[in-house]
Amino acid sequence: MKIVVPIKRVVDPYAKVKPLADGTGLDVAGVKFEINPFDEIAMEEAVRIKERDPSTYTVAVSIGGPECEEQLRKALAIGADEAVLIETTDGLDASVIAAELVAFVQEVAPDIVLMGKQSTDDDSNQVGQMMAAMLGWPQATFACKLTPGVGEVTVDRETDSGEESLRMKTPCVVTTDLRMNQPRYIALPGIIKARSKPLAKRGRGTSASPRVRLTHLAALPPRPPGRKVASVDELLTELKSRGLV
Amino acid sequence: MQTEPGCGFFSHTPRSVCSPEGFHSDERLMVESASQFTKGEVLPLAERLDRQEEGLMPELIRKAGELGFCGVDTPEAYGGLGQSKALATRILEFLSLDASFSVTLGVTSGIAQLGLTLFGNESQKTEHLPALASGEKIGAYCLSEPNSGTDALGLETKAVRDGDDWLLTGSKMWISNAKWAETFLVLAKVDGEQVTAFVVNRDTPGLTVAREEHKLGLKGSSTARVELEAARVPGKDLVYEVGKGHHVALNALNIGRLKLAAMSIGPVRAALFHGTGYAQERKQFGTFISDFGLVRKKFADAAAWFYGAETAIYRTCGLLDEVFGASDGSTAGNRAAAEEYAVECSACKVLATEAEARIIDEMLQVFGGFGFTEEFPLARLYRDARVSRIYEGTNEINRAFIADRLARRIASGHALGGSANDSFVAELAGKALPRVGDHQEQVGAMSDLLMLQYAVQGTAVRSAAQGGLAAMANSRFVNWANGEAARAYQVVTGESVTLPAPGPAYTDELASGVLELRGPI
Ligand SMILES: Cc1cc2nc3c(=O)[nH]c(=O)nc-3n(C[C@H](O)[C@H](O)[C@H](O)COP(=O)(O)OP(=O)(O)OC[C@H]3O[C@@H](n4cnc5c(N)ncnc54)[C@H](O)[C@@H]3O)c2cc1C
Repeated sequence: MKIVVPIKRVVDPYAKVKPLADGTGLDVAGVKFEINPFDEIAMEEAVRIKERDPSTYTVAVSIGGPECEEQLRKALAIGADEAVLIETTDGLDASVIAAELVAFVQEVAPDIVLMGKQSTDDDSNQVGQMMAAMLGWPQATFACKLTPGVGEVTVDRETDSGEESLRMKTPCVVTTDLRMNQPRYIALPGIIKARSKPLAKRGRGTSASPRVRLTHLAALPPRPPGRKVASVDELLTELKSRGLV
Repeated sequence: MQTEPGCGFFSHTPRSVCSPEGFHSDERLMVESASQFTKGEVLPLAERLDRQEEGLMPELIRKAGELGFCGVDTPEAYGGLGQSKALATRILEFLSLDASFSVTLGVTSGIAQLGLTLFGNESQKTEHLPALASGEKIGAYCLSEPNSGTDALGLETKAVRDGDDWLLTGSKMWISNAKWAETFLVLAKVDGEQVTAFVVNRDTPGLTVAREEHKLGLKGSSTARVELEAARVPGKDLVYEVGKGHHVALNALNIGRLKLAAMSIGPVRAALFHGTGYAQERKQFGTFISDFGLVRKKFADAAAWFYGAETAIYRTCGLLDEVFGASDGSTAGNRAAAEEYAVECSACKVLATEAEARIIDEMLQVFGGFGFTEEFPLARLYRDARVSRIYEGTNEINRAFIADRLARRIASGHALGGSANDSFVAELAGKALPRVGDHQEQVGAMSDLLMLQYAVQGTAVRSAAQGGLAAMANSRFVNWANGEAARAYQVVTGESVTLPAPGPAYTDELASGVLELRGPI
């Protein structure tokens, strides 16, 4: 079984970030970067599958500048067998990412593309679905459990109406929810071993261009200060006077 | 060829110093992994560890071992990861947020192994190191005795030859990890005077571990007496040579002191996390206490003191890595390497443990009355921190040592006598050195000057490369060091000294930095 795990480099979800003054993007000076936590869960799951079935082969792939190597090394330290960086400084949106990944996946021909359901920076939740559509593969999103079978996989997902169990043929696309697993502490020997695992760099495989453009990024306006009222009556009067009730 | 010999700081300004900013991304990933392990596995157990719940600590060490944390700088040939002292020390710092876990791990990955790593023969290293480096077994280091603590070589435990074996008889006191350890490095005397090291297995007939000490702090760690009654140790387990055990014991301690310095600033990270959190929640007079100038001063001081200690520690690690890198790996080479920076290691121990004491004391103060109750973590951190100034050589004996060793190195041509004069502190140190009298108070004050010189020299060079908050921390640290140095100078010379005008204190900038980061800058 071959599994491709796309890995996105994101700003540390716990870091406090500010938009640049001109609104063209985020001020990331001095900010820490991480693997998108959902992607880390996907990588962890792929490695667990490999631990159960050693014939599994896992490939981590990222798209972006040379700095993404850091996150790919981490994926290798978690246990990926191989990493590929599609190196580009082009502006990217979900459709371009999906197109690039599709080109890559067609070449590598995995049984499963296992990836985060969304990234913690843009929260767009689109790439997995777009890929499945472009490839014409079945997909299961927001998976909390993945059980590979022969030529098929079983995927459990938690929905508002209960837990669903889906079965679909491989190759397929699975996107992971937070509940799927708790990523391991990365063992130091794994990090050392990752130094000598293959990490290939290549250029883009398509000429897709973004369909969405970021026009402006601004911080939320600060919340106006609140005020304590003495009684329920005062509250009601105040709300009425503002036409809110 | 190393650029800075032992005590070289006194006469020369380095162009650069080793510091954590220089780590590669995969080294940073290792440190991050240590930090995650601490947050996820150790800190949630802190209170249960403190109550000495059976089995918790050995299980944590086993888990830490599986991840590689018990043998980061143990040579690869003996089951370790063979990484640099700088990286191993940084990882240990981030594994040290809980002091009880820290000392347990620090001993089994440090002084319990170092005697063997530096002085053991091939079969001793092969037999013992892999199990310690993997966390499968826990190690202990047995030097102190009821009548010999600081005067470590005044030990009374006897080793008597019996055929091919040795019979050890005596009592070892305050032995960390004794409850769980399976491998003990034991110092004893042959013929009543020749200090000799042995590696002793727990199941050795005649070795017993007596009851646990009832301690002020570090309650989650094990500290107990080890009794030896004609304990039979095979001849093959004698480490290095008869009469040369002091090299084994003391060189392990040189590096142990440096590691202890890092283990002492680890808990400061925890204290700052709690202190900054509380200060931004607690209101008095309708204001968050983090807005009061005298509270902000505490965070600014913490930033400066932490920066000073941290800088000295990693600078020293870098020096040790260079000298070990250049060594041929022979026992003689190891001994020379471990001895080279004994002064710097001692300086780090004193600088870091005293920074720890001051910062944790001030973070307790931030908590006010709540700091004084056991419901909040500061009380435990405060109790735990107290021992840092006592063990691995009391700060007094380190102060007696530093200035004395520099004078000896100068006398024997191993160091230059003229001060680098690269700071106000260095100028005072240079002027004071020829005037140190016999009284220990003067020797100790001279050592203060030297430690401060070492620290400010490092912060100047490091912060020049970093800029930003680091440059501010340096400015504040230098102000503090100048004041301390002036006091020390007066003790040595009996003369008054005028302080230079202070640099900017950056109180609010540094406090804001610490409050936002919830930790050191
Ligand atoms: C929690 C804990 C864990 C420990 N773990 C270990 C361990 O694993 N292995 C081990 O071997 N030991 C261990 N020790 C022992 C520790 O190293 C000693 O307690 C320490 O070296 C001090 O010795 P002492 O207690 O006998 O004090 P003393 O030597 O009696 O000192 C008492 C006081 O006199 C001062 N003093 C003594 N001599 C001088 C001098 N020449 N000049 C100036 N002042 C002096 C000291 O600084 C101190 O203030 C541990 C101790 C504790 C508390």
